[in-house]
Amino acid sequence: MIKSSTLLCMLAAVGLLGGPAAADTIKVGVIGTMSGPYALFGKNFKMGIDAWVAQHGSKVGSHEVEFIYRDEEAPNPAKSKAIAQELLVKDKVQYLAGVYFTPNAMAVAPLLEQAKVPLIVMNAATSSIVEKSPFIARTSFTMWQNTVPAAKVARERGASKVAIAVTDYGPGIDAEAAFKKTFEAGGGTIVEAVRMPLNTTDFSPIMQRIKDSGADTIFTFLPAGPPTLAFVKAYIDNGLKAGGIKLMSTGDVVTEPDLPNIGDAGLGILSTYHYAVSHDSPENKAFLDQLVKSGGKLDEVTMTAVAAYDGARLIYKMIEATDGKQDPDKAIAAVKNLKWMSPRGPVSIDPETRHIRQNVYLREVAKRDGKLENKEVQTFEAQPDWALSKQ
Amino acid sequence: MTIASARPAPASRLKVRPAAEARGVLVIIALGLVGYFVFPDDLAFLTRLITIALLVISLDLVTGYCGVATLGQAAMFGVGAYAVGNACLAGLTDPVMLLFVGMAAGAAAGLASGALITRFHGLPQLVLSIALGQLVGALANKLSGWTGGSDGLSGITPSPVLGLFAFDLYSRTAYVFSLVVLALVFALLLRFMRSPFGLLCRGIRDDALRARMIGAAVYPRLVIMYGLSGAVAGIGGALAAITTGVVGLDSVSFERSAEALVMLVLGGTGTLWGALTGALVFQIFEHFVAATNPFHWMSMVGLLLIVIVVFAPRGLAHGAAVLWARLRVRGAAP
Amino acid sequence: MRTILSIAVDALAYGMVLFIISIGLSIMMGLMRVVNLAHGAFAMIGGYLASYAVRSWGLSYGFAIVLAVIGTIVIALPLERLLFRRIYRKSDALPQLLLTIGITFLVIGIVNFIFGPTLKPVPLPGVLSGPFDIGFRMLPTHRLFVIACGAITAAALWYLLERTDFGVRLRAAVDNGDMAEALGIRTELIYLATFALAVGLAAFGGIVGAELLPIEPFYALRYMVVFLVVVSVGGAGSITGALAASLLLGLADTTGKYLAPEFGEFFFYLAVIVIVFLFPHGLLGRGALR
Repeated sequence: MIKSSTLLCMLAAVGLLGGPAAADTIKVGVIGTMSGPYALFGKNFKMGIDAWVAQHGSKVGSHEVEFIYRDEEAPNPAKSKAIAQELLVKDKVQYLAGVYFTPNAMAVAPLLEQAKVPLIVMNAATSSIVEKSPFIARTSFTMWQNTVPAAKVARERGASKVAIAVTDYGPGIDAEAAFKKTFEAGGGTIVEAVRMPLNTTDFSPIMQRIKDSGADTIFTFLPAGPPTLAFVKAYIDNGLKAGGIKLMSTGDVVTEPDLPNIGDAGLGILSTYHYAVSHDSPENKAFLDQLVKSGGKLDEVTMTAVAAYDGARLIYKMIEATDGKQDPDKAIAAVKNLKWMSPRGPVSIDPETRHIRQNVYLREVAKRDGKLENKEVQTFEAQPDWALSKQ
Repeated sequence: MTIASARPAPASRLKVRPAAEARGVLVIIALGLVGYFVFPDDLAFLTRLITIALLVISLDLVTGYCGVATLGQAAMFGVGAYAVGNACLAGLTDPVMLLFVGMAAGAAAGLASGALITRFHGLPQLVLSIALGQLVGALANKLSGWTGGSDGLSGITPSPVLGLFAFDLYSRTAYVFSLVVLALVFALLLRFMRSPFGLLCRGIRDDALRARMIGAAVYPRLVIMYGLSGAVAGIGGALAAITTGVVGLDSVSFERSAEALVMLVLGGTGTLWGALTGALVFQIFEHFVAATNPFHWMSMVGLLLIVIVVFAPRGLAHGAAVLWARLRVRGAAP
Repeated sequence: MRTILSIAVDALAYGMVLFIISIGLSIMMGLMRVVNLAHGAFAMIGGYLASYAVRSWGLSYGFAIVLAVIGTIVIALPLERLLFRRIYRKSDALPQLLLTIGITFLVIGIVNFIFGPTLKPVPLPGVLSGPFDIGFRMLPTHRLFVIACGAITAAALWYLLERTDFGVRLRAAVDNGDMAEALGIRTELIYLATFALAVGLAAFGGIVGAELLPIEPFYALRYMVVFLVVVSVGGAGSITGALAASLLLGLADTTGKYLAPEFGEFFFYLAVIVIVFLFPHGLLGRGALR
């Protein structure tokens, strides 16, 4: 009995059985930072997807869905492209998903039309990514989306001279442009704009430069990961915070897992972002409960988990709409205009840009029950990607 | 050490028949065909393997044949790749022409760095090679107008090879194209290394003083070899750019240089076959082990390197050659 | 003027970290003539041990430093006996490069297996964290601590090498190993002690420098060449040379990052090339290594 079933399994595995059983497994290739300094965010992709699968089952209709994870490791476009190609050619995936870094997403994009495979971007946040292929949809955020509210808040709260410090690559340049445009339109001036190489670890000289520029507020973006902590610490320890210079950033710089390391000195730091772990809603509570139940740790939750959770929703929707057939046009059409209640709040997919429209929150680092969190203090409703959307 | 490594050279030189180049081409093509038909789904990986193999071979030209220890070889690979990327984006899309662009850019970079590096010996030489490599890396990051910086240079779409074979998703064209280039380069280098110039370079490696005593101008020869090495590395970079369509900062990184050196020594320095073997074996193992866990892979490579230095200081190819010679003797006896 | 002073202070702090880590390598290269690319790996091990001691055992910062330095030496000594000894004073640099790259890779793999891939901070005690007012600017208190550590290390090493019996033997062995051996100095023991000293200094530098060079598995690879470059610029085996090189390169790097941050490490390596070109044996090298 046992033997014959193992034999069947083996036959199925080598594809000898063929027919509907084998054809009915739909593979989804997830590219994420599974190792290296950014491994936490790749892990969050998996946590988010696992939570979705635990809630909705591993089947869509009669189709079994299988997620295959591959490691993009670092910003390395050539390697990511090779990984994507392997997923397409060898593993025969019908969907690609994930991608933490913009350069990697850009490298993968040209393959999609050739292979007729949609890509759900679950992090990479440069606006122009969705323009690289009609088969890309995105459930994360863009720099423009999160930065425009930041610039508005900074101006409202009395900032007039801002120094911008961003990481020198796609999203950083987007963030710089978005802040500059919005802030100057509001009547403020940019007194300094520094672009820092991705591998910078010592921010002291940059803090000195900002101090010398006479700015009253710093706006910064760095990709969530080890350097953000060093940046915030340099800001505090070089006396800029004590000297009254305010720090304004997108939420990437103060992700929840980093807050304990920043410590109480970080209290009061402002950021704008689309998701805070502390977000108070039944959806978020259910989401976090499920994350923990399927093996995740609450202290490790970041924005990539919720982007992956919502991304899995899109993939399920696409599989349902195409009934498991490889039809990227139909699949993408099925998710345009899709509206739902995400753990981050009400969201929808903008039919024009295939990017997610969502609330952006102003948050402040605060303490609750002895634990640091990003407390939401103001909501900017239904923000589009300001770089691409007409409105 | 020097005496020991000099000894096998004359023996193998005597054995080389005029047909050695033809044989080299045949072996590579035969191996390549096996790859094509046995692993049709892995052609993208095999193509990448070929581009890196060219880098390792180029490193062998300076390290193995001239005794210059360098940890900055990727700079020339990267310069070739970026030059090709820019040429392609500017409208020169013919793959064969692009190869020449990469070769020229690599050769120029090789001559320039060779002129600086080969003036020194030992530690200063090593450190200069590292510093030059890092300098090129920092520049590549800064000159984002030409290199795309951390975003990489993407959108490189060469036209079909000879106007006939378009580059496809399965990398069939890319693979065959790369294979042919590798075979040609390899044959030319085999020929070149047997030329008086190539032999003299070995002489310089084994004993620079003696070479100087017999009237050889050491410095210009080393610079020229560096230029040649740069050209080969540039071809590797060009192939990488053409076949993947992206060039990232990784192509000029220190890691790439260090890995190339590891592969070279794994295969054995001073023979082109050694360089090729090292590149193949290393990358195939990496492909399988690193896919499951990149860190276990690092531990394994680390252990392997330690074992090689301790037990087989002259590389895998040498060990294999010894084994092969023994088998042949045994086979020929009856 | 204030700005220049400010940059100078930052440069001093960075230079001192480079110095503390590199000086061990310098002595080792001067004596054993070994191009050791694994030096950064020992600094990293020190950092991990200290991080673990503070965060998981709740030890105090000072005690954690002592424990981590000793721990690193204990881990490294078997490697000396088994591996490093084979490559001392070899004329061919290639085996040295490979063996030490191999050790580095192995350490990276093992460290990741034990501690995971994420960055591990070495939490500072309250006294050393936060800003400190030095008159013309605020400075992270920790930087002052680093500068002090560097100065103390330099002074202690000077005393050790110039004023103690061990120092006399070591210098004799550096200047002429065979002669020292003939005179009855057991170079093998000297090598062992020097190796322990070098590794201990690396670990110490790795821990106190963790704020500037954060501890993560790729640390050993990322900074692999930096320390080698510093030693080479200063001249292997020279304390003053290493100090001068560290400060000079620290200055080049910090000034570059202040004036043109988008150039990254460009100025650092440009300075290296110029100095090596002008002084192939290092600023104050004895020409022992060629």
